[in-house]
Amino acid sequence: MATLFIDNAPYQVKEGKNLLEACLSLGFDLPYFCWHPAMGSVGACRQCAVKSFRDEEDTRGKLVMSCMEPVRDQARISIQDAEAVGFRAGIIEWLMTNHPHDCAVCDEGGSCHLQDMTVMTGHNYRRFRFNKRTYRNQDLGPFLNHEMNRCIHCYRCIRFYKDYAGGKDLDAMGAHNHVYFGRSEDGVLENEFSGNLAEVCPTGVFTDKSLKQHYTRKWDMTHAPSLCQGCAMGCNIIASERYGELRQISSRFNGEVNGYFICDRGRFGYEFVNSEDRIREIGVKGKPEIKDRDSLLRTAAARIREGSVLGIGSPRASLESNFALRKLVGEDNFYHGVADTEFDLVNLTLRILKEGTVRTPTLPEIESADAILILGEDLINTAPRMVLALRQAVRRGPGEALSARMNVPLWQDAAIRQAIQQDKAPLFSITPYPVRQDELATKSLYESPDDISRIGFAIAHAIDPDVTEIKRLSDEERMWTAHMAAVLLRAERPLIISGYGAGSEAVIKSAADVAWALKKSGKDVRLSLTVPECNSMGLAMMGGHRLESALDAVAHGHADTVIILENDLYRRAEKTLVDEFLQKSRHVILLDQVYHQTAEEADVIIPAGTFAEADGTLISGEGRAQRFYQVFVPDGPVQESWRWLQQLAEACGNRTLSHLRILDDFVLEIAKTCPQFEGIEHIAPPSDFRIGAQKIARQPHRYSGRTAKEAHIQVSERKPPSDEDSPLSFTMEGYHGIPPSAVVPFFWAPGWNSIQSINKYQIEVGGPLHDGDPGRRLIEPGDAHTPVFFAEQAAPFPIRPDCLYLIPQYAIFGTEEFSVHSPGIASRSPAAAITVARADADSWGLRDGDLLEFQFNGQEYKLAIQTNQQYPRGMGTLPIGLKGVPFMDLPGWIRLKPVERS
Amino acid sequence: MEVYRKQGGYAAVEKALKTMTPDEVLEEVKKSGLRGRGGAGFPTGLKWSFLAKPEGVPRYLVCNADESEPGTFKDRDLMVRNPHSLIEGMIVSSFALGANTSYIYVRGELFYVIRILEKAISEAREKGFLGKNILGSGYDLELYVQPGGGAYICGEETALIESLEGKRGNPRIKPPFPAVSGVWGCPTVVNNVETIAATSWIVQHGGDEYAKIGIGRSTGTKLISACGNINKPGIYEIELGLPVEEFIYSDEYCGGIAGGKRLKAVVAGGSSVPVLPANLILKTMAGESRLMSYESLAEGGFVSGTMLGSGGFIVMDEDACIVRNTWNFTRFYHHESCGQCSPCREGTGWMEKVLHRIEYGHGKMSDIDLLVDVAAKIEGNTICPLGDAAAWPVGSAIRHFRDEFEWHVREPRLSQERNYGLAGYADPLPVQAAEA
Ligand SMILES: Cc1cc2nc3c(=O)[nH]c(=O)nc-3n(C[C@H](O)[C@H](O)[C@H](O)COP(=O)(O)O)c2cc1C
Ligand code: SF4
Ligand code: SF4
Ligand code: SF4
Ligand code: FES
Repeated sequence: MATLFIDNAPYQVKEGKNLLEACLSLGFDLPYFCWHPAMGSVGACRQCAVKSFRDEEDTRGKLVMSCMEPVRDQARISIQDAEAVGFRAGIIEWLMTNHPHDCAVCDEGGSCHLQDMTVMTGHNYRRFRFNKRTYRNQDLGPFLNHEMNRCIHCYRCIRFYKDYAGGKDLDAMGAHNHVYFGRSEDGVLENEFSGNLAEVCPTGVFTDKSLKQHYTRKWDMTHAPSLCQGCAMGCNIIASERYGELRQISSRFNGEVNGYFICDRGRFGYEFVNSEDRIREIGVKGKPEIKDRDSLLRTAAARIREGSVLGIGSPRASLESNFALRKLVGEDNFYHGVADTEFDLVNLTLRILKEGTVRTPTLPEIESADAILILGEDLINTAPRMVLALRQAVRRGPGEALSARMNVPLWQDAAIRQAIQQDKAPLFSITPYPVRQDELATKSLYESPDDISRIGFAIAHAIDPDVTEIKRLSDEERMWTAHMAAVLLRAERPLIISGYGAGSEAVIKSAADVAWALKKSGKDVRLSLTVPECNSMGLAMMGGHRLESALDAVAHGHADTVIILENDLYRRAEKTLVDEFLQKSRHVILLDQVYHQTAEEADVIIPAGTFAEADGTLISGEGRAQRFYQVFVPDGPVQESWRWLQQLAEACGNRTLSHLRILDDFVLEIAKTCPQFEGIEHIAPPSDFRIGAQKIARQPHRYSGRTAKEAHIQVSERKPPSDEDSPLSFTMEGYHGIPPSAVVPFFWAPGWNSIQSINKYQIEVGGPLHDGDPGRRLIEPGDAHTPVFFAEQAAPFPIRPDCLYLIPQYAIFGTEEFSVHSPGIASRSPAAAITVARADADSWGLRDGDLLEFQFNGQEYKLAIQTNQQYPRGMGTLPIGLKGVPFMDLPGWIRLKPVERS
Repeated sequence: MEVYRKQGGYAAVEKALKTMTPDEVLEEVKKSGLRGRGGAGFPTGLKWSFLAKPEGVPRYLVCNADESEPGTFKDRDLMVRNPHSLIEGMIVSSFALGANTSYIYVRGELFYVIRILEKAISEAREKGFLGKNILGSGYDLELYVQPGGGAYICGEETALIESLEGKRGNPRIKPPFPAVSGVWGCPTVVNNVETIAATSWIVQHGGDEYAKIGIGRSTGTKLISACGNINKPGIYEIELGLPVEEFIYSDEYCGGIAGGKRLKAVVAGGSSVPVLPANLILKTMAGESRLMSYESLAEGGFVSGTMLGSGGFIVMDEDACIVRNTWNFTRFYHHESCGQCSPCREGTGWMEKVLHRIEYGHGKMSDIDLLVDVAAKIEGNTICPLGDAAAWPVGSAIRHFRDEFEWHVREPRLSQERNYGLAGYADPLPVQAAEA
């Protein structure tokens, strides 16, 4: 700790930080632009100036940029010094000379850092009497607006996009007060994290294009703390609504999970909530008169009682909903609505994490790994946010070394980045095909999944001879495994990453062996295993049977009534199987949010609330339980699946759920009856939590139009809905201060209207939120014991004539079921084609775009091909979940139909 | 090459590489008292001694030949007329610093200079002065010429390094200084053409010999590029310590004011330094004669002094309009601002607009204080000295010539028709006096 004198008062502050961070952490309002807590300082905007004094005697002092000065013990600075105050106001005055000041029509207005800083510095009278400079804006694609006239040249956009996220198509161009931040020509911003520009840019240059189609000011929206449902990373988000429409997703800081940033799937994939394809009404085949809740419940209950029922749970439904279904149908009749291969992969993953010796990493742990091995994962498409973290990790080691050598603090971003040049911490990526993380890798190899696992086991063997030696490695493979093992052993905090991506249990096992071997040799190692969906982990932890057995149960007449929870079975099993299953079932009852093929076949359709209309708990791939909260109460019969299921149980006369009414009841019941979920009752305050007898307001205190917005329907104001499930209120009534971290509906502090107000919610700037980052890790490895290595001896990948080993390939834009309902996301979906090695295609006489005909599991398929020179021979990839791509339970061998030659 | 060799060229290379250690070369340069000729006048030996020498990390020497300051045009001629003196200097300096790769970063517009240098380098290589194992000494050196990015700011040493690396020429924040993290993140020294060229003389004749030339801590000779309303504009090598008055009026140098007019003002060190009225450029406040030296020109601080800078000596006669000149400089700085830090990016543009308005007869009295305020806020508060360089001409012009600005505002019509003349800050030495 150091003593820092600010305007002559002493404060205890942490050494190593910069003065700006220290001042903000102490609660001072000091304006800034170019500094960003995650991106460090570059000292460009000069907004954060303070007076620095040599000692007590020094009365003149000197202006310094607080973001560039390290905290020193006994340092004396002044924020209130007249020259400093004048200078800071002067900076705003300068910025304003070229800023259009069009707040009224600017999408940033009301959540604008420039507005906040302008007011903070007190500049308000314009001395500039000339025309302002103007720019031509660009069309940057579906996600972001571009309005360059508003730019204040803080350089944050390119620092985030280029430096932090590795984007290549955005830059600073031109000079003097005509610097332009854009692409070299109009076109879609390619980077998968582009949406963060809307938050990083402190002005209205980069704003959210999806919000613009139904624009609403921040203060006019109802917000709730929520979770991204896009993948299993569990990124925290804020979901915002007006007029019954979900209008914006922004990132919600969670230092352990996603920090300040989320990916574009997460930010822009929300539009399905408002989509035409939503299931909003009750539907009973042949009985169109059944439209209300009670008659539905009666009808459905009669059908459930009539036959023998089974339930199919979902990896995209909350823990509570899955739990309710399991209770309703009974444990023995509860099946997982996931493909069988996926079922095995996720269960294996869970077993490894639970019974193994190595922990999963938090976000900061990923970012501070000093040697990384990736086996089989195409991370940008299976766990997008992790790639952004890895990008920071590979610079960190070299950065720390240089920081020490040059005596320049790590937060001095420009200098450190400059000195690092192309240097990287070791990252080895071994995947079936070229992937995005290759740009971060010190070495990339492309191998078939079998061979990846062989290399993995060989590395484990090189680290620990207890793992069986792998035979028949090539010389090159032998050299690399030895090198990688040595590098991992030299590291202090190695990180091993694998997961469902390659569709191979052997790959996951080999990753586990490497991690366990490192742990055994005393390393502080972490193991990250991706799982596919937002609650895949929760579902696996809950337990249940394979989907295959559900199909069998119906085929064999053991069950005839099926309740499907939030699931499209056509995405989980091959079409013929699902067709048969649904036809054979006497009654098919579906609870879901959006129409899909399964819904077409269901007899009873029950409208379930989306994440924006429901509360629930999810378990992320890290094993972290987190809660999401309803944003608004939808019109009509839409409600949470767990509530429907509880009501159904009641209607059936099934008493197992009678005592559960509100969310808290479910949470407590789950925690009580399923030991693996113990602790979920503590991840957020209960519904009766109050601050000074008040609930926490979902609406900002400036929310407008409340009495008028429905006046065209009914002049007297409707009674606002009450929320019995959470400590949040649906109105502006309630507490507006800083609530417990798990229930922060939006970030706001007096004078800080923009997202930058996060500073005020953190214990110290950039650190955890007050009362800890939200969520609780449920899976920790057992006590240090010797691991039982898998040590499998797989044979090298065989190339089979007239066959192809087809493995799944995932797409950040395209694979996930709901996000493709956003037109912007859909427009970025890749082509529905099989990719194969160019040499293979040549040998078949096929070229890009030609159709490949093949058989798989007795079915015939026909799909276009794409070729890639870097693919291993004998192997191909199929983009999963895309429109026009039929479901196949991959990986597997496909048999090619002989190509007819004329 | 032949001519240069005949005149004793490359003797310094032989001497340094064959008979001296790098530290001994450094020692000579320290003794010589040589100061950077790029503008700041920082002692070269001292700068070299700051160079970090971490294990296993290469070091670089970069010659700054970006010369684009208005009023300064000495390096160009040096390179055209005597490229080998620069190359020789590069070799001995690189040797002293332990650099095995060095760059000459040449202003992009000077493509013919680039050709001359490249030819000279290949000649030197043929003669074995560059490449592997130079003169059998075991010392290797590769020398590259890098064409500049075409912006004044790329002459600022850290912007130059960025540009050299193929990036946008934005200056970096210091620390870390290039001596710690420069080209490719490695320790680097950046020196001006003239500075480097001087090192070979120093090696050959010894630092003590060099130190005998000049006056006080301003040792050696300096190239001065003189321009403006004088009889003999051109480049003059002067011994530091020459009286300013002699420089302006002696036939050996500028040969007096053109057309027999009277001296009004001088910008003594390139457009960036404060302008001084005739009375203050010839004599200090204390009444002493001003000399062409770092110290004498700076006498009186910014209140009544200026800087030797890069040696661009711009002379203005009684018909010169200070407002117009200041506007012209400011226009240059605005255009050349890299656009990185707010004070310079926005402040220079604003000052230019205001000056333009005053010059064209639409100014207001409050504009003058506005200029002072903006300039004062820029000064000392920017990332690189371009901000200062833009603020000083404005600040000094108003400090010394405020009447003229006020007259422009008061008499917009008159100011369009004629010049304000010499007024109170007139030349204390009539032309005749100097001739006598
Ligand atoms: C805006 C700006 C432009 C500059 N341009 C040049 C230049 O063209 N040539 C030069 O030698 N130094 C220039 N300098 C000075 C260099 O930054 C650096 O100080 C100099 O090259 C060091 O060499 P020296 O120690 O030999 O003087 C410039 C500085 C600034 C701030
Ligand atoms: S576009 Fe936004 S982030 Fe980029 S420099 Fe301008 S104001 Fe800053
Ligand atoms: S990484 Fe996954 S959880 Fe995070 S924002 Fe993207 S899709 Fe959502
Ligand atoms: S002072 Fe001017 S030229 Fe220098 S870094 Fe700042 S904006 Fe760029
Ligand atoms: S925040 Fe410190 S200079 Fe920009």
